[in-house]
Amino acid sequence: MDKTLNYAYYPGCSLHASAGEYDLSTRELFNLLGVGLTEVPDWFCCGATPAHNVDELLSLSLCAKNLELAEQVDGDVAVACAACFSRLKFTQHTLLEDETKRRQVEKAIDAPARLDGKVKHLLEILARDIGLERLASAVSKPLSGVKVACYYGCLLTRPPDVPNLDCVEAPTIMERVVEAAGAETVPWSHRMECCGANFTLSRPGVVIQLSNAILDSAKSSGADCVVVACPLCHGNLDMRQKEIEGVYNAEYGLPVFYITQLLAVACGAGAEKSGLGALMVDPFPLLKVKNIL
Amino acid sequence: MKKKKMIISSQTMELDVVRKVEALSGTSVRRCFQCGKCSAGCPMATFMEHPPNRIVRLLQLGQWQRILAGRSIWYCASCETCSTRCPNKVHLASIMDALRKLSWDAEGPSKESYVQLANRLFLENIRSYGRQYEMRLAAVFNVKSGQFLKDLMLGPKLISKGKLKMFHQKNRNMAEIEKIFSRIEEMRKKGEAL
Ligand code: SF4
Ligand code: SF4
Repeated sequence: MDKTLNYAYYPGCSLHASAGEYDLSTRELFNLLGVGLTEVPDWFCCGATPAHNVDELLSLSLCAKNLELAEQVDGDVAVACAACFSRLKFTQHTLLEDETKRRQVEKAIDAPARLDGKVKHLLEILARDIGLERLASAVSKPLSGVKVACYYGCLLTRPPDVPNLDCVEAPTIMERVVEAAGAETVPWSHRMECCGANFTLSRPGVVIQLSNAILDSAKSSGADCVVVACPLCHGNLDMRQKEIEGVYNAEYGLPVFYITQLLAVACGAGAEKSGLGALMVDPFPLLKVKNIL
Repeated sequence: MKKKKMIISSQTMELDVVRKVEALSGTSVRRCFQCGKCSAGCPMATFMEHPPNRIVRLLQLGQWQRILAGRSIWYCASCETCSTRCPNKVHLASIMDALRKLSWDAEGPSKESYVQLANRLFLENIRSYGRQYEMRLAAVFNVKSGQFLKDLMLGPKLISKGKLKMFHQKNRNMAEIEKIFSRIEEMRKKGEAL
């Protein structure tokens, strides 16, 4: 047990609603790895895309206040959602670069902005802080024979100098984490393409078109499943997959896992604690065929 | 040969709107040399009447009314591909944010109302509840946009999978959130922030 490793966990709104399985599997995985995860008390919405879309100052202020709340917990900030991660990192970056904006934000939150705390996505905690070796040694049910298409989407790595998670155009961090759990990863073309993100509410037609291209690419690369690290990507690829198949007269049948779900399964958490029942595209046939469950 | 000055830089660049866009986005539209890389990688370009490179060009020419009248800025997904690939470090995704803000503040003449409605409801939810509740967001959106049956088929499945929460959790920071909103409104009234 590594009692020294503890994080201030910022789950974000989706993980308390439509992405409950991401939250559940994250807590379970960290528990199995013996790493502390303490939820930031009374955190609130980071503003996500809609806030910075029309009101950057509001977006920066909401994030700055959440970063201040996170100081109540020992450790770096651990973020699960790619969109929250992006907004929090953008806030630190922008306020460090732009003196005027920092002064405005500090006035809005009536406190000095805390810009030195480390904000980390779960992926970098897994790959770097915990480390691939320790991760691999915790695996009791290796995902042998499972071919995984790792999907990054937009906000985990872009733009340069902001998230600083991995190479901005050709990252490998997710592949390395998935391989540490014994799975095989496939090279494919749409790892970094946009799924349509939050147009799911206002313009679902856009999402259906863009997400179809992603599923089509994953399928033709020979993948058995897709892995994501963002609730928006997940909603579009999993929840809307059946609808997409209907529109394009296609058959994908690709289970879409959150990264923590797949790792939790590999570490022996079992189906329930990994939240597999919440997935819309049934993952059980695949996991049974591969003798993992 | 006599060096020719670019007309765009002397006059149109001083336009109030262009200056506001540059201040809000922290980027200069002058830097763009129209290579088109941004539009080549933009996943939403097919849905826009002006692809991203042309948005910057229109700003250079001072023709911002054409941008605000259209739907392009509301179809930008904020994917950051353009900002990532621009050889001149034009932060186009931030320019899009700035343009949307100007259109939003002016209760702009854009034809794209669904995206704006979704944004407005999202922000109202933060102010009223502190967090997003997707079910409420979707339900109110459908009522207000008159698409009562939109995604009807998804509802029961989502509920059975435990994906939709109906109830709000109490958040002890509600007063603080309200203060952030009102302090920003006040700053703007006093002209201390854009
Ligand atoms: S990539 Fe940059 S320089 Fe090229 S057209 Fe777009 S904004 Fe202009
Ligand atoms: S941020 Fe907007 S304009 Fe830029 S590439 Fe993405 S969708 Fe296109």
